[in-house]
Amino acid sequence: MLTIDSLKAFGADTDDALARCMGNEAFYFKLIGKVLDDKNFEVLEQAIHAKDLDKAFEAAHSLKGVLGNLSLTPVYDPVNEMTELLRSRNDVDYTTYLKAIADKKAELTKLLE
Amino acid sequence: MMKRSTEVFLDGKRHILIADDEFVNREMLENILCDKYDVLKAEDGLIAYDLIRKNRKTLSLILLDLMMPNLSGLELLDRLKEDPDTKNIPVIVLTSDQASEVESLRKGAADFIPKPYPQPDVIKARISRSIELAEDRQTISATERDDLTGLYTCEYFYRYVEQFDKYHPSTEMDAVCFDVNHFHILNERFGTAKVAEILQSIADCLASVFSSSDGVLCRMGEDTFLCYCHHRDDYPKILEKISSGCGIKMRAGIYASCDKNLDIQSRFVRAKIAADKISNAYSVFTSTFDETLLKEELFAEQLLEEFPKALEEKQFQVFFQPKYDIRGDKPVLSSAEALVRWFHPTLGMISPGKFIPLFEGNGLIAQLDEYVWRRTAERIADWKERLGISVPVSVNLSRAEMYDSALVDTFEKITGDTGITPKDIYLEITESAYVSDSNQIVNRVSQLRDHGFFIEMDDFGSGYSSLNMISELPIDALKLDMLFIRNAFDKQNDTRMISIVIDIAEYLGVPVIAEGVETEEQYLALKKLGCAIIQGYYFSKPLPADEFEKLLRS
Repeated sequence: MLTIDSLKAFGADTDDALARCMGNEAFYFKLIGKVLDDKNFEVLEQAIHAKDLDKAFEAAHSLKGVLGNLSLTPVYDPVNEMTELLRSRNDVDYTTYLKAIADKKAELTKLLE
Repeated sequence: MMKRSTEVFLDGKRHILIADDEFVNREMLENILCDKYDVLKAEDGLIAYDLIRKNRKTLSLILLDLMMPNLSGLELLDRLKEDPDTKNIPVIVLTSDQASEVESLRKGAADFIPKPYPQPDVIKARISRSIELAEDRQTISATERDDLTGLYTCEYFYRYVEQFDKYHPSTEMDAVCFDVNHFHILNERFGTAKVAEILQSIADCLASVFSSSDGVLCRMGEDTFLCYCHHRDDYPKILEKISSGCGIKMRAGIYASCDKNLDIQSRFVRAKIAADKISNAYSVFTSTFDETLLKEELFAEQLLEEFPKALEEKQFQVFFQPKYDIRGDKPVLSSAEALVRWFHPTLGMISPGKFIPLFEGNGLIAQLDEYVWRRTAERIADWKERLGISVPVSVNLSRAEMYDSALVDTFEKITGDTGITPKDIYLEITESAYVSDSNQIVNRVSQLRDHGFFIEMDDFGSGYSSLNMISELPIDALKLDMLFIRNAFDKQNDTRMISIVIDIAEYLGVPVIAEGVETEEQYLALKKLGCAIIQGYYFSKPLPADEFEKLLRS
């Protein structure tokens, strides 16, 4: 069961995000549920494996916007760093980033149960 | 230009489109905005474009994510700004990159909102500000142009002229006023729809002559076009071009190389004065302003303004021009015509030719005439009483006064008050008054005659009385138009027309009075032809009352 406290403990800036949700907690939680289903997580991973940096950038960029709006800082931070690297199409090893993202996403998913 | 008037929103909220491929972003914005706005949503660029096209008349704002599948935000922005139907809808770009912010503003975006979104209040304020600005701009461009012709409206025209002057202070410029000749007749002849077409084609024609670098144009009122342009002298050619292109005649009043120390409106007043000067001329189409025109106009204004005071202070004096009966061996003073003179305290004697037409044009003539009638009646009464001499004096009536149902009462009152009889005062009614609305005028004249007044038909020969009508006219004398006499003697010494008129008078059993007789030759010829009474400088100019009195005594 997702709560503001558990999100805070996770590291989310819930005050900021709730303001964007006009103070509506249920709405905030609903949107968090939606972001976990965002297909861009999958697209990003596959694009990195396929070395399609353009596609990877687009997916990372989109995720960055959504995660930022929901203030899910622990997931946002690695996505943000990836986005900046991908913007200049840096061919670096992104696996640590992908792992950090996957870990934090899993942690968040757990909060929902 | 697409018009999105604020009336669209009277019954509901303004419409906003959110175009973003991320569900969470769309939902979040909708949640922030749905209180105040009706929100449409699109999850990619193509869907967004379709929705915008469909709702182009009612959309107040577009919130546009730059990175979307199918059609990117920047491409969509390009499309919108190229399309006249959509280019005026404000677009706010949603972006997390500073580089894109600048690019999108350059492409015509109104503003941007960063991601992650700022506080909802900030978002709302930016949206509302952008909508307000766009609507204001739309209102301005709607009032800036004349709907019918697409030229500037007057108010904006003056502002543009002002701006033009600011950047070109030493350029020689003309202020020009184009008017359609006899515009009111056009409406009658062609109907308003056709006239609207004509006005449009005039505007097109003027716009083709005066390119935007040459001059500024506007339509003022119905049929007046103002132009502020570089000095030129081919205005007759321009009028010919309009005439052949639009099938109507226009006139141009030109205030050439205008004085830039004058305020802009005054410059165009001068152009308009010049145009009005030739409004009744049939073969003159351009008129250039000069100081005399302004003086005439100012003079007329001054006379109108000072008229009530002049009447009160008795600045108007009645002069008497003797009429002589020439039927006997020697001419005999038989009557006189009362003529008004204005002795202005600073301007001196003002000729009636300058103020009578002016007062006839605006109804003041009725007051002046009644004043003259009364002064005249008082003089007649005075001479009767003091000198025991009864000499009838004729006074002039204007056409407009013939419609006054109280006219007979007015004369009855004047004769009653002064103690004279209707036989002592003759009434001169111009021939053209009879023609304009003969039934009503004839009835009025008959009424006056029934009360004993003597009627002279004035200016006979200048109007267009039908021979048919003449026999039915209730008149006691025919007074030949002065020009009639002048032409008969000046040109080929052809007096045949005069003898025809005298025959007509004979047939009607009334005497003929000739005015404007200046020479002995004229006098003798008229006497020979059988003219009964003569008035003119040959015998005497109009005299002040005391001098006329001396004549009466002798």
